[in-house]
Amino acid sequence: MSDLQIIQSALERAANRHRWSRAFRGLWHGLLFGAIISLVLLAAHRIFPVPDWFMVATPLVPLPCMLAGLIMGGWRKPGPSETARWLDSRTHLEERLSTALELSASSRETAWRQLVINDAATRAKDIDPRSLMPFHLPRATRWALLVLALVAGLGFVPEYRSRNYRQKQSDEQRIKEVGQRLTELTKRNLEKRPPALEQTQKSLEAVEDLGQKLSRANLTRSDALKDLASVSDKLQKQLQDLSKDPSLKSMERVARASTGSDSQTAAGLQKQIDSLQKQAGESSSTPEKLDQLKKDLEKLQQAAKGLADKSSPAADAERRKLADSLSAMSREAQDMGVQLPQLDEAIEALAANQTDLFMKELDASLMDLDKLREMSRTLQQLQQQAQKLGKDLAEQLANGQPELAQATLQKMIQQLQAANLSPEQLKKILEDVSKAIQPAGDYGKVAQHLKESTRQMQAGDKAGAAKSLADAEKELAELMKQLGDAETLMAELNALSQASMCVGTGQGWGACKKPGTRPGGKPGPGVGTWADDNAAWGGEMTEHGDNSTLLRPDLAPRGLTEREQADTKDVLKPTKVKGQFSPGGQMPSITLKGVSIKGQSQVEFQEATTAAQSEAESALSQEKVPRVYQESVRDYFDDLKK
Amino acid sequence: MNTEQSIELFRDAYARLRAELGKVIVGHDTIVEGTLIALFAGGHVLLEGVPGLGKTLLVRTLGEVLDLPFSRIQFTPDLMPADILGTNLVMEAAGGRREFQFQHGPVFANLILADEINRATPKTQSAMLEAMQEHQVTAGGALRRLSEPFFVMATQNPIDQEGTYPLPEAQLDRFFFKLLLGYPSGEELSEVLSRTTTGARVAVEKVLERQALLELMSLVREVPVASHVQNYAVRLVLATHPRTETAAPIASQYLRFGSSPRGGQTLLLAGKVRALTHGRFNVSFDDIEAVTPAALRHRLILNFEAEAEGITTDHIIGRILQETPRDAQAVNA
Repeated sequence: MSDLQIIQSALERAANRHRWSRAFRGLWHGLLFGAIISLVLLAAHRIFPVPDWFMVATPLVPLPCMLAGLIMGGWRKPGPSETARWLDSRTHLEERLSTALELSASSRETAWRQLVINDAATRAKDIDPRSLMPFHLPRATRWALLVLALVAGLGFVPEYRSRNYRQKQSDEQRIKEVGQRLTELTKRNLEKRPPALEQTQKSLEAVEDLGQKLSRANLTRSDALKDLASVSDKLQKQLQDLSKDPSLKSMERVARASTGSDSQTAAGLQKQIDSLQKQAGESSSTPEKLDQLKKDLEKLQQAAKGLADKSSPAADAERRKLADSLSAMSREAQDMGVQLPQLDEAIEALAANQTDLFMKELDASLMDLDKLREMSRTLQQLQQQAQKLGKDLAEQLANGQPELAQATLQKMIQQLQAANLSPEQLKKILEDVSKAIQPAGDYGKVAQHLKESTRQMQAGDKAGAAKSLADAEKELAELMKQLGDAETLMAELNALSQASMCVGTGQGWGACKKPGTRPGGKPGPGVGTWADDNAAWGGEMTEHGDNSTLLRPDLAPRGLTEREQADTKDVLKPTKVKGQFSPGGQMPSITLKGVSIKGQSQVEFQEATTAAQSEAESALSQEKVPRVYQESVRDYFDDLKK
Repeated sequence: MNTEQSIELFRDAYARLRAELGKVIVGHDTIVEGTLIALFAGGHVLLEGVPGLGKTLLVRTLGEVLDLPFSRIQFTPDLMPADILGTNLVMEAAGGRREFQFQHGPVFANLILADEINRATPKTQSAMLEAMQEHQVTAGGALRRLSEPFFVMATQNPIDQEGTYPLPEAQLDRFFFKLLLGYPSGEELSEVLSRTTTGARVAVEKVLERQALLELMSLVREVPVASHVQNYAVRLVLATHPRTETAAPIASQYLRFGSSPRGGQTLLLAGKVRALTHGRFNVSFDDIEAVTPAALRHRLILNFEAEAEGITTDHIIGRILQETPRDAQAVNA
């Protein structure tokens, strides 16, 4: 091996060793760097309301940093010149290697070149890169371990979150839940009752979009309320537009006045009645008579219990008396057409002094009576419903049974189109249609089509009459669809209203009940909100509905406040206002409890009222407060100023 | 004689010179080393020290050990240039004719001792300029070359400034080294006293003749210098240039003028000699660093602020050596 090769070999070994040494140091420096980042991330997560990925990233960061340090450290292999200079410096070779390397690059062979290379090679033989650069843990390792220990310690420290932040988080959670529910409800509505009008479809899609937005974006309470109010306003406007249609208005009126039996056709009702009559047999009993019979039997049962263990002559006489009464009842039941075989068996058991068997048979008879009574009651209701069904087209339209009217119209069309229509049948149809013209006035152009049909039938134009009737039927179907749209919009408005209330009060979807009325026209669980013009209960106020004067200890706000009732300032006490729902009049009787506040107030009373007044003025200016309440709201805050 | 033998001869000559000088000069190793470095590099030396430290003795002894013509010029205020260079005199020729003949001054020697050079007037001092740089003199309208090697060793006294004329910058720059003689240590002083207060007379031998010295001087110039070492010398010189991009902060603060290119030449040449004297065939950073104070201290011109604060050029050079990295491109281990 020549002198130059010896030098180059030594430089190569030193360069490799140096590369690995730097990679090794880079590894530990990477760990230190990663540990510091972890510490910063964790500390930030503990102190500030940063996203949760900070916490997730904390244990993961050091590993890639170590890897990056290793790669960066060992990325570049030092060149021979650099290595030679470094070796000169490290081994005190006084620039022998670097000078030799530089001279070796020269092609000119000189005595000095050989002398210098020879001298450097002699020194290079003794170079041991391992002893020059031993692998040992750098000082950074100790710091890295210290920082990691700090990270581990900090992991046990609970995170600090301000009250406002927790409240905000809770609000966001609620808003998301509300958004999900709103989306689900809207989807269900869209599936169940696909809207007929494009505008309604768009509105429902807007509600669905809003629900999705609420469920995905992190909105503040005010933003969410603003969005909800905006979409509500849109729906409200559309509903108002729909309600301007007089035909729809009248349809809604007759639908409200009707018993809602329109959904069941006459044929369906008759089928149910027949089925029940078949089950009840030849019974001509009424529920009241069956009730009386049951009461008598119960009395006898009580009397029989008293004679259970007695065997005196008086008791025997009593049993005979009971048996006679039972026999009379059995006959009475048979007269009503009610079959009670257990009653006869009970009489026999009583005669045989088998009290237990008697009681058992009597219980069975009572149960049979219950079933019969229920069946009789259902039958009675169905018969009442059947009586209310319109018998002809006029009655059906007058009763607000458009589906039945549609069926009748279809039947008439088929008859008119039939070839063998007799003059009597035509006359009958003409009479029915003529009679229906007046009640059809509430159904848009239906009356017009019926009138046209009448004229055509009188003229003997059966085909034209059938077409006019088909137009009437089509118009009716169209109105039905629009009414369905209005109902869908109403349902959506209710859902939006509930969503607003949930967001406003910070309650879950299930916890906050929508205001307004319950099915059946009864008062709902809450009153209207400022944002909802129609949320107020619009039903007739009865003494059952008006509970403002009732003292309900079970509903007293126990636990809602830590302050004693006596400590409450007068201005903060619930205010009861009585009145009627009419513009300009007094407010209805409502107990305004306000938002429950726990703990001590953090702001001055004046500050709170000023803020509330500002919000109220804003709501008034944006017409978010129903007109009925606007004056009262102004008065309330004017009073507070005093 | 091949290079290796020449190098061996150099080392041998150097060792013998030091040994012979050591017989007379006690201590002052740095001064002796600096003087010999300047000698082999072909440069002039300015020795500065208080009286009685052996400046003249050193130069005189050097003249004795080198088999070279030696002249001593005692600089005084009334010394004229012609007293140094020589002059044309009317001389009677063999045929009785009278003619002008140039009488060579003391400068026409190989080794000159310019004792107390700062006592001469600037006019006389400047008479040395051409001789020191060009190794020639112009006198009597004729150019006369000086015999090689031409080596001037000047001494000056830093105290007793009355009646002295500070050397001009141009003259100072022509000195290869400026060596400062300090007081001897206790042991050295004791040895000096022992040697000089007895009747014993130390005899020194002539070690190096003229031709051998010239060959060794040419050998010195062949010593290779790695580019990064040369770059270090360049960066050191550039660091002394005040108010430039390369200037060291202290240079910008306290210097009026920095080193001339002669300073860089001095660093490399002195480094080469030092490398050979230390048994190496190449110049190292240590060589450059070791010779820097002697090579640059007389080339830096202090500003008023430095003089007011008592800052010396040695202080500035020390700071520049600290702040200038030796090898910026070496791998960082």
